[in-house]
Amino acid sequence: MKRTIVLCAAGLLLIASAVYSFGDIARPKVTPTAKEGKTVLYTSMTVKPDSKASEARLQISQGTLQSIAHEAANISSNQSMTQRLMHSSARTVMAGLFMFLAVSFAGVWFARSSQRRNNKAVAAAILMAMVFGLATVIVRANAGPPGYVRWQGLPQNLKDGKTTGGGVNIEVVPGDDSTITLIVPLRKTQNPGEE
Amino acid sequence: MERAENISLTAWSGTRSTDRVRLSARSFGGMLIASACLSAILASWLPLQVSIVTVFLFAGPHNWFELRYFLMRLPARFGRSRNFFAVAFAGIFILTLAYVSLPLLYYANIWSGSNWPTAIATWNTLLLLWLGALVLMRGKQNSRRDWFWALPVTFVLCALNWLAPDLFSLAIVYLHPLVALWFLDRHLRRTRPEWLRAYHRCLIVLPFLIVGMLWQLARTPSLSDDNGLFWRITQHAGAELLPNVSSHLLVSTHVFLELLHYGVWIVALPLIGATGAVWSVRTIPLARHRRGWPKLIGAVLVCGLFLVALLWIGFSANYAVTRDVYFAVAIAHVLAEAPFLLRMI
Repeated sequence: MKRTIVLCAAGLLLIASAVYSFGDIARPKVTPTAKEGKTVLYTSMTVKPDSKASEARLQISQGTLQSIAHEAANISSNQSMTQRLMHSSARTVMAGLFMFLAVSFAGVWFARSSQRRNNKAVAAAILMAMVFGLATVIVRANAGPPGYVRWQGLPQNLKDGKTTGGGVNIEVVPGDDSTITLIVPLRKTQNPGEE
Repeated sequence: MERAENISLTAWSGTRSTDRVRLSARSFGGMLIASACLSAILASWLPLQVSIVTVFLFAGPHNWFELRYFLMRLPARFGRSRNFFAVAFAGIFILTLAYVSLPLLYYANIWSGSNWPTAIATWNTLLLLWLGALVLMRGKQNSRRDWFWALPVTFVLCALNWLAPDLFSLAIVYLHPLVALWFLDRHLRRTRPEWLRAYHRCLIVLPFLIVGMLWQLARTPSLSDDNGLFWRITQHAGAELLPNVSSHLLVSTHVFLELLHYGVWIVALPLIGATGAVWSVRTIPLARHRRGWPKLIGAVLVCGLFLVALLWIGFSANYAVTRDVYFAVAIAHVLAEAPFLLRMI
């Protein structure tokens, strides 16, 4: 009992000391960051050259426009998990603390179950973890090519007057700038013979 | 000793002897599947309307049946389970009080609700720690059980809860109705073992029904939530938390699960005699025991009936507000299910 109390006290002291350690760390310099966009919808897009057109046109279906308006209205609640966590360090700390406790007590349980020679449950758990891991690898292996691949032919297609299509994330950026920007993911490729 | 102390074994034998319904396992299974299919069709077809009617009709009565069921499962003397029940009742009281006080503080303008996710994450953590403690205590009552695994599982759930507290709460909303099916399983195991196989086969149909609903409703347009009541129903089903999922699908799935929940508590469990003869207080061990409290138990049940009637009056007068109040207070019955289920495992 005494040993448990001493161990608990030591653990709490260690956690409390972390607060003081952080107290000595200098505040990071605030650097101006670029405007962060917030993805509201993923859809497909085609870039189509038209030699007869006098103005560039952005065509969008009524349904898609309504979806964008709807998602933009819910923009605060539609944050991704990472974004939510980035804005709540206390919750991240709590999640990490509980994960640490879970792993620790799982270790104790593992040791206890090994002592009792009740290895079937442990073997089942390890097998399940392996199956999940393997499934993850397989799923990743079947994942499609990255989005930029579809856009690689854009410059050449524009020269040839051909249509190029690919996926596009529709982002809402803060501010009142009326210019619509299309960012195309193009990777620099070296032509044969170029050094 | 363990058996003697366990909850009202006399109640089990009593219910078996008072069986009046003669049904074959096949008929029982057929009824379950027919009810589940009908519920799925109704919930998919008119989700909002069925939700309103279902809560109006069955929310109160199913709570009364649960109350009667819990009273029936309470032992006349706690014995070695004194600590277990002390922790259980303390947890139910404190967690319910905390849960109800959160919206009260908000509406009284005492709390702005700005750190709502942290508040709800804290409440969820307390709930999980309470459940973990109950599981460990129940495990220790039998030397052959090693339920130490409950501790790491509890902490993993706590961690997930802190990552997404709102989604964790939504998971409770969807998982709670399924607990009734577990109760039914435990009762069939003890009172109608010949129906158990048919019941398990029926349970296999459930995922198919849910997948069928998902398949049918995934691409349906979201429900119109232009009035306060419809908005409340879609929010309760998680429309705000899952904006990319059709609210029609969410509400339908939730209504379907709720219908199953009500069906188990109001029809299936009384059918197999789990709640005893509804009108007879003597089927409750606390009332039957020579040192029991028959008048108190009778008064509690009559008060319960009055509350059911009051709920119906409230729904008739102002459905939306009564629904909000009901779902806040109803957390007590959600919590109460945990210790009684654990006592049956």
